[in-house]
Amino acid sequence: MTELTFANWLGTVPEWLAGWPEGVQRLFFQFYQTFVYQDRWTFFTNGLKTTFLITLGALLLGVLIGVLVAVVRSAHDSRRAGARPNLVLNFFNTVCKLYLTVIRGTPMMVQLLIMGYVILKPRGEQAVLVTAIVAFGINSGAYVAEIVRSGIMSISAGQMEAGRSLGLTYGKTMWYIIIPQAIKNILPALGNEMITLIKETSIVTVIAGKDLTKAAQVIVTKTNQYLVPYISLAVIYLVIVLILTKLLGLLERRLRTSDRR
Amino acid sequence: MIAVKNLCKAFGENEVLKGVNEHIEKGEKVVIIGPSGSGKSTFLRCLNLLEEPTGGSIIFEGQNITAKDTDINLIRRKMGMVFQQFNLFPHLTVKENIKLAPVKLKIMADEEADKRALQLLERVGLPDKADSYPIQLSGGQQQRIAIARALAMNPDVMLFDEPTSALDPEMVGEVLEIMKELAEDGMTMVVVTHEMGFAREVATRVLFMDGGNIVEQNEPKAFFANPQNPRLKDFLSKVL
Repeated sequence: MTELTFANWLGTVPEWLAGWPEGVQRLFFQFYQTFVYQDRWTFFTNGLKTTFLITLGALLLGVLIGVLVAVVRSAHDSRRAGARPNLVLNFFNTVCKLYLTVIRGTPMMVQLLIMGYVILKPRGEQAVLVTAIVAFGINSGAYVAEIVRSGIMSISAGQMEAGRSLGLTYGKTMWYIIIPQAIKNILPALGNEMITLIKETSIVTVIAGKDLTKAAQVIVTKTNQYLVPYISLAVIYLVIVLILTKLLGLLERRLRTSDRR
Repeated sequence: MIAVKNLCKAFGENEVLKGVNEHIEKGEKVVIIGPSGSGKSTFLRCLNLLEEPTGGSIIFEGQNITAKDTDINLIRRKMGMVFQQFNLFPHLTVKENIKLAPVKLKIMADEEADKRALQLLERVGLPDKADSYPIQLSGGQQQRIAIARALAMNPDVMLFDEPTSALDPEMVGEVLEIMKELAEDGMTMVVVTHEMGFAREVATRVLFMDGGNIVEQNEPKAFFANPQNPRLKDFLSKVL
């Protein structure tokens, strides 16, 4: 399908635009090309869907991995000097440390390339989506783990003792007493991680993921115009982040009910 | 009920308990006093294995709780503990604090635990605080809730680790009053405290610990009136 030309488009514009300088008209033309012509806004909405899916999936996976790793790490670190060594715990702690070192020590882009072209080699859109979720989830997990661990360490040892003294197991005390308090303390940091994640998913294009960024790139190749597609792309990401920030603020306020005197 | 044999606890090089032997019978109210660093808190915390002993054994209701195959979580259900710093769960309301363990351990259904919680709140004199958060309460109130929380598990023995030491002076009385009522109801109690008045009035037996051992013990009247050990004499002359 041939692309619409400026001259052809100019013939169809409403009268009020005809009187404007050409620079402004060309800007409007690009805007039309980017979003309206051939319903191209659907590229963006579809891309946005993918971006959200990857972010959400990776976030869930990341929090799951992160909490597990953080619990293992803090269980290991909270053992007193002189206590009987726990070989199973030591083993898992070593595995967790290795994971943290490798994931935090290599670029996300490289991890994505390895996951996409060496380990999983996805074919088809769905497979790419899953691959992306796995890659971003594993990456995010490493950062979430350290955030959660700092949250767990911020809770006084007396809370664990109180839970254990009632007969609750280590796991139950963690889950019902320590983690809920820790989450409240780390919510700002977790929100930050989520915002980083949603922006970082834009590199999923290297394994042929059809996300929001890819949508803008496709439109650029069709129209041969850069300004409006890319600036719009930036604005869309910005708006998402602003909305997220607002929502997180509300959540933080809600969780703070128990702090009110 | 509790038999402690040659109990040792060391933190690295630092020996805190040096072979403590002690029998506590059902219904006894044992008060442990002593200078700081004497090992009295460590001794108490060993009784429910919040501290892992490095030697000796503790037999609770016929079961060796220091044995490897003992499920300490089941033992702890029978041993309530009250801490110096209260350690209420700040993210939960008072009622949820009390209900948490019985419900999560599936000992009581939710409604039953609700009823029990309100009953206990009545008992510690705070029935109107069920839906408050711990931070909204005074120290004395928090400690009374902590006692109610421990009682919710229907323990056979209550361990008190300096329960009034973190309180403002005017709140000490209300907590001691609850403890006294508990004693009158026949609860077996082991109390580490600096409240000599409480020891004199409520204890059936007072232990004096110094240097990682129990160096003297007696029923309270004789204990305070006629101390034998020179270190106890010295200690009492400073605190009384």
